[in-house]
Amino acid sequence: MKKINHHIDELFKDMPRNTETEMVKQEIIENLEEKVFYLMEQGKEEEDAINKAIVEFGDIEDLKKELGVKEPEKKSMAKLNLEFSLWGSGLIAAFFIFINLYYTPNTIWAIYPIFAILWWPLSMYFVWSRKKWSE
Amino acid sequence: MVRSDIIRGHLDSIILRLILEKDRYGYEISQEISNRTNNSFQIKEATLYAVFQRLEKKEVIEAYYGDVSHGGKRKYYRITSLGKAYLSELVKEWAEVKEIIDLFMEGLE
Repeated sequence: MKKINHHIDELFKDMPRNTETEMVKQEIIENLEEKVFYLMEQGKEEEDAINKAIVEFGDIEDLKKELGVKEPEKKSMAKLNLEFSLWGSGLIAAFFIFINLYYTPNTIWAIYPIFAILWWPLSMYFVWSRKKWSE
Repeated sequence: MVRSDIIRGHLDSIILRLILEKDRYGYEISQEISNRTNNSFQIKEATLYAVFQRLEKKEVIEAYYGDVSHGGKRKYYRITSLGKAYLSELVKEWAEVKEIIDLFMEGLE
């Protein structure tokens, strides 16, 4: 019977550890053991019976879904990129404006690098909105 | 063996029906399904417990612990009144589905 416990432990290793999972696990083990006893009563060797029970157990994916194992959710990188680009370009723009006003207040040149840097958030915005559209 | 994905959508009905007859526990249900279908359909245990979880969350069945068997305490399931209503909906739905599929399958070899 250790083998059953071991097998079920193995199947459950990615599941969240909580009382719900633990109860389902106990239930499954209990029922599998019962199946093994039944098969042994039918004249199977214990080893065979355990193997049969394990083979017939099937795929655990459905159960995972029911027990709320989230697929490692992909964080929306597009949004993060957009935020980062907004902050980054904002800071760079502020930096240029400051240099411009501080050293050469009579010539406005900061607009050129700012115009260049704005392509960054713009492209990130494009990526983000394209992703939103495709969802 | 029947392809299990065809039956898949009707597992709720099958299991509810069996629990409606009397309170049952997991292994008993899988046994009963195999017996009644003469082994032409066998439910995988993993699937069975997934269905239990889903039905329990929907509150159409509820579990309680019963007598002690070889392993440990058996977990029994009983159908709730919501479950009975749900099952009769499923029965109606199945009658409709059967009619539709029959329209296309009857008279063919």
